Amino acid sequence: MIKNYIKIAWRNLKRNKAYAFISVAGLALGITCGILIFTLITYHLSFDNFHKNSDRVYRLYTEWHDDGIGRSHGVPQPLGKTFRNDFTLAEKTARVISFHDNLITITQGNQVKKFKEDNGVAFTEPEYFDILNFPLLKGDKKTVLVKPGEAIVTEKIARKYFGDDNPIGKVIRVDNKVNFTVTGVLKDLPANTDRKQQVYVSYGNMDEYTGSKKREDNWGGVFSGSEVFTLLKPSTTMESANSAMALIVKKHYTGRDLQVWKFKLQPLSDIHFNSDLDGYADKKYLWALFFIGLFLIITACVNFVNLATAQALNRAKEIGVRKVLGSLPHQLFWQFIAETALITFVAVILAIGLSFIALPAINNLFESQMTFKLFQLSVFIMLISVLVVFLSGSYPGLVLARFQPILALKSKLSQKHVGGFSLRRILVVTQFSISQVLIIGAIIIVSQLHYSQTTDLGFNKDAVVLLPIPQQDKAKLSTLRNRINEVQGVEKSSYCYKAPAAQSNNSTDVNFNHRGEDEHWGINTKQGDENFLSTFGMKLVAGRNFFPADTTHEFLVNETFVKKLNLKPQDVIGKMLAIDGKTIKAPIVGVVKDFYNYSFHTEISAICIMPDYRSYSTLAVKINMRNAKTSLAAFEKIWNETFPEELYSYQFLDDSVGKFYEMDNIQLKLVEAFAGIAILIGCLGLYGLVSFMAVRKTKEIGVRKVLGADTMHILWLFGKEFTYLLLIAFVVAAPLAWWAMHNYLQDFKYRITIGPGIFLTSILSTFIIASITVGYRSVMAATANPVKSLRSE
Amino acid sequence: MLSLQHISKYYQVSGLKNFVLNDLSLEIDQGEFVSIMGPSGSGKSSLLNIIGMLDEPSEGYHYFAGHAVHQLKEKQRSALYKQYIGFVFQAYHLIDELTVYENIETPLIYQDFKGAERKAMVADILDRFNIVGKKDLFPAQLSGGQQQLVGIARALIAKPKLLLADEPTGNLNSKQGEEIMELFRKLNKEDGVTIIQVTHSEKNAEYGSRIINLLDGKIESSKQL
Repeated sequence: MIKNYIKIAWRNLKRNKAYAFISVAGLALGITCGILIFTLITYHLSFDNFHKNSDRVYRLYTEWHDDGIGRSHGVPQPLGKTFRNDFTLAEKTARVISFHDNLITITQGNQVKKFKEDNGVAFTEPEYFDILNFPLLKGDKKTVLVKPGEAIVTEKIARKYFGDDNPIGKVIRVDNKVNFTVTGVLKDLPANTDRKQQVYVSYGNMDEYTGSKKREDNWGGVFSGSEVFTLLKPSTTMESANSAMALIVKKHYTGRDLQVWKFKLQPLSDIHFNSDLDGYADKKYLWALFFIGLFLIITACVNFVNLATAQALNRAKEIGVRKVLGSLPHQLFWQFIAETALITFVAVILAIGLSFIALPAINNLFESQMTFKLFQLSVFIMLISVLVVFLSGSYPGLVLARFQPILALKSKLSQKHVGGFSLRRILVVTQFSISQVLIIGAIIIVSQLHYSQTTDLGFNKDAVVLLPIPQQDKAKLSTLRNRINEVQGVEKSSYCYKAPAAQSNNSTDVNFNHRGEDEHWGINTKQGDENFLSTFGMKLVAGRNFFPADTTHEFLVNETFVKKLNLKPQDVIGKMLAIDGKTIKAPIVGVVKDFYNYSFHTEISAICIMPDYRSYSTLAVKINMRNAKTSLAAFEKIWNETFPEELYSYQFLDDSVGKFYEMDNIQLKLVEAFAGIAILIGCLGLYGLVSFMAVRKTKEIGVRKVLGADTMHILWLFGKEFTYLLLIAFVVAAPLAWWAMHNYLQDFKYRITIGPGIFLTSILSTFIIASITVGYRSVMAATANPVKSLRSE
Repeated sequence: MLSLQHISKYYQVSGLKNFVLNDLSLEIDQGEFVSIMGPSGSGKSSLLNIIGMLDEPSEGYHYFAGHAVHQLKEKQRSALYKQYIGFVFQAYHLIDELTVYENIETPLIYQDFKGAERKAMVADILDRFNIVGKKDLFPAQLSGGQQQLVGIARALIAKPKLLLADEPTGNLNSKQGEEIMELFRKLNKEDGVTIIQVTHSEKNAEYGSRIINLLDGKIESSKQL
């Protein structure tokens, strides 16, 4: 029996190639998206789940309760040590302090090799490798990193630095400051971990590296790279550990700080998802993806049901004959399920192929290393196949099985016997609602990104080259600037810590005008020389720029600073400002116009700008883009002559600002792709439906033409129908999309408003796409010779 | 073999009963070859469909092989039908996607015959009808007469006691028609199959043992030949 089902299913598909193609293509696209989204979601859910006892592993983090709550995944450096020594709650506790973009130098004979490590170097206590499961391939786990001066690297790094040589015993130099001897090699890190460092060095060398012993006992500041991981004892709860943290605060803080500082534990499983800290994948977005995937599969199924029921009329005769020959309804039902299963099977095979092709592109987009997990994926594919088969096969199956044989044989079946046109209308409306939601979503993301890229940021981000400054040597700095300024095409240059908007920021406490109490908000400090304003094209709203100086004698502040004090810009000029625990005190001499110092996701901070050559890590050069090539070449030459031990690199400011929107761009690309696929599937369905309509209406069209209708009238028969359906779909989709995108935009502090234009664009584009889809078949039907169609009746 | 008593079939159109069959009673014995005649709209096909259990009467009693059909459930009726009745259509109604062989085999599949058994039965009937050479062809590749031959073979494959034929020669030329009628006569005489056919042709009707004339849903005359 099954064989018979399959056989007739196969022949049916061969006979109706267009129908088969549309069904298979639609399902394959839907299932491909399903597979990819499934892979993406399971990939993110698998982050750091391979550690032993991972349910007992926590990271400590800092919270500040002042005006609002601030959080950092970094903690004061002494916290880890105190937690370990003063309490017995944990089996192991390890501090790890990581830096980024470190320069690693390796000297072999006369040959010097330099490497820039984006993921940087981590000063690590040896317990770290007892808590987290990163196994050593070479070296003794009991002794590595215990003594100062040791380093362990991953296999990948070992190969990169030393080729096939044995890395053990080799020396690496970090940032031209400290030498480490490699004593261990780690197995390469799995893709699904947020611990990205590949070079670990002894924690004991921290003071030597930073050049000061102050950090080890400094409870007053937090460096975001300073993290603490702990493996709690099985008997310890998160609550008891959190209350221990309260005791630590009591012991080490005084005055207002007692209320402000809090330390808490974050479960390892939360790290990847918590966007309040440094989580990468907000679960909100994973859910959104899940629903998009589900919607796409539903759209594909809807498509299938649509086509199958339309097709059902053509098969009425076969069904009638089968019934007369003694087939029971359930046999016909299963026959149809078998047919659906065959189509689904072909679609799944295609989808698997497509997924394999698409995965590298997705990995490229996310800069991830996802792979297909064979077992998980095959279970998922099985489930989804069964779901698709029954979701899309059972309705047409039931309809067919219930046919009255006599009516079927006499070709007297009409639309009401196959679920009617209204059912198919509902299905098309569903499909187009889904694609409209996605289209509106894509348009809003595009508009927001366009807005953030074209709005005046308050500073000029074009044609500014950022050169790194590895050493703060006064003489070198002054020579370097003089030589750079002589390069043809250079308009201005400025030494600064970072550009006005940067990923790296320092915040500190504020005391204004000798007030008794510090302000309840922090200030973002931007070190720069007297050319900072002119190089970045920033404007003063009051006062003047500071005079040239190497250290801080005068401050500039921004408008937000003034607003937070509830003052007018003129009022703060000449007043004293003290920051960094009142270690830096100077009068305010000017107020700059507000500029966006973060992305549009974040509010503008209170900012002060002051000269301090020890903080300069960037030379910003405003150039004339017409000479960009020669200028850049000259910069490299001059830079390498100034810092022969360092590795040259440069960045354009607009690229660096663009990095703020990396995630947004990824989201946009995803939504665009999914919207595209939803539209495509929708169009396939629409095409199928209009073909069906054209066949059904052949006689009606013939009669109308004989009665004198012209082509436009006939086309309107089709147009009317689809206009109507699209409008309903739009009415369904618009509020949904508005709600979803309104929530999305809440993530931006500075955002566009969702205006009618966006909705208009969406419906217009859908309209055009639908017209093109419907057009060909409609014109064919409308221009057919009426005599022919009437004679055949 | 079958008995219809006071059978009526009507459609309600805005409160008025529109009779297709009106209080019709009919007895048919095993081994008869009955031809039903009458002008268009006299209820011939409706009568045949009711006898064949493809349609239900609005009123009346229907007995078939000792069962009260009007009291049976759908499933039992279907079982009865599968066991006893074969149908031949004017428009052949072969399944276009299946070959001759598969078309003939289909009723056996629905009656749960085993594969080997099916093979033997189909081979046997192909042989009997002289269409072995055509078994792998599709209906579209056959002439009308050949298609009807396949249709009859398919109707007979499960060895029904009653063969119902709705204008079996309507779409055929006279020579092909004669061949089919000869075949019917042979089936009736040699195999003892009871046959009821609907026909417009006097000549074809005379192949049977009894002719029933219908007019406006009633039996106008009935004559034994």
